[in-house]
Amino acid sequence: MKAERYQRHSLIDWFPQEKIKAAKIGIVGCGAVGNEVAKNLALLGVGNLDLYDFDKIEVHNLTRSILFRESDIGKSKSEVAASKVQELDSNVNVNAFHGDFWDLMTLDMVESYDCIICCVDNFEARIRLNQLCLITKTNLINTGIDSKFCQIELFPFQSGNNVACFECNLPNSAYERMQQRYSCGWLKKVSFIEKKIPTTIITSSLTGSLAASKALNLIRGETPSAATRILVNSFTGVSTISLIQQSCECIGCSSFGDSISRISVSPKIKSSFKGITYESDDQISTSEPILISMRCHNCEPEENNIIFKNSSNFDSTVSTCRKCGEDSVDVDINDTFTLSELENKFSDYSFPCKYVHYKLNNQSIIIEME
Amino acid sequence: MSEVNLIIRTADQTRKAEVTLDLTNTGADIIQASVDNWALPTDTDYGLVSTSSGKTILPNSSLSDSGIKDGDVLEVQPVLVAG
Repeated sequence: MKAERYQRHSLIDWFPQEKIKAAKIGIVGCGAVGNEVAKNLALLGVGNLDLYDFDKIEVHNLTRSILFRESDIGKSKSEVAASKVQELDSNVNVNAFHGDFWDLMTLDMVESYDCIICCVDNFEARIRLNQLCLITKTNLINTGIDSKFCQIELFPFQSGNNVACFECNLPNSAYERMQQRYSCGWLKKVSFIEKKIPTTIITSSLTGSLAASKALNLIRGETPSAATRILVNSFTGVSTISLIQQSCECIGCSSFGDSISRISVSPKIKSSFKGITYESDDQISTSEPILISMRCHNCEPEENNIIFKNSSNFDSTVSTCRKCGEDSVDVDINDTFTLSELENKFSDYSFPCKYVHYKLNNQSIIIEME
Repeated sequence: MSEVNLIIRTADQTRKAEVTLDLTNTGADIIQASVDNWALPTDTDYGLVSTSSGKTILPNSSLSDSGIKDGDVLEVQPVLVAG
């Protein structure tokens, strides 16, 4: 039954069905492109697929999502996609992860993938996935669409350090656009309405095909030495292939040293740095900004309330004092600390972030929170 | 030589111009000028590619640092965010 299923593939002299069966691929985002990628990889016979999405299916998804039906509205995208993939090929070992990949994916999980295919719909998630792939040297395929164009980028991080990352070419306007979602630099605006970009099944299916083709090449062992981008005009069929240049000023990849080592520890600050040699004025950066303290300069002019929690747990309403009702709360948020500062001020707290990055003599140590 | 003659176009090739630019201009400068002069949608972000070399041009790199020469064709491409 199994051999018969792949009989046509076996007629293709370059098609490594056994390697494809052994491959493990993470798909982040199960929207229009994620559906296409999952369907293609399942039909190719990829043996292990992990699907990530925090979202639920809405009726407007049905014009672009081959794996979703009207009866699936309101259900988890990753779970429905996984169950449909299983129907397509019961040989595929498929797992659904309903939630934010940032919370669900450990660095060991990221490293276990032959590649990760990014099918999300915003810059922040792309930047975060890029960071995880950079740290673990996991190949990343990034996709993006609009109603006319398809974009597929391959970042072959397994090839070494001299590979451009997603952020190397990201225009300043993209960072400015991301910043519009926040006030005080880090706190999400409660009133912000995200603009939706219209897309069609034409661009999502073309993109899903090319992304799956890139993944197939990686499985075949054809890992290029440089990052590349394909941009396809779906109206005309014209495509442009470009080499993505590495930027030495990139805030994504230039912050990492030549070698990256990883450890997992308890998030308790007291115990996080046991066994690591450091100077007290050495700095660490946290993977996410931390809201350190808040103080109303009307009600508590002298008192700083230490919070030390992930700033994503808060929004712009915290700048309004609950006692006096004025917009008078000073919020201290930071993502860089000296080790003596942590030891002296916050040793009783736990790191409220995914990991911290400590750089020592051009070597990066990533301390992942268990 | 401090100037270079180029063709700049959009990815869908609906807009195209022959221009003479100072080699100190950066990728970001060219994108901004393209958005302004051609009234490209401002809710999209753009990157720049030299179709002559087949390489992207970094936003903060000058044309000189990017190895751009007379006759090169630069394409303003959308940075796509939907998925």
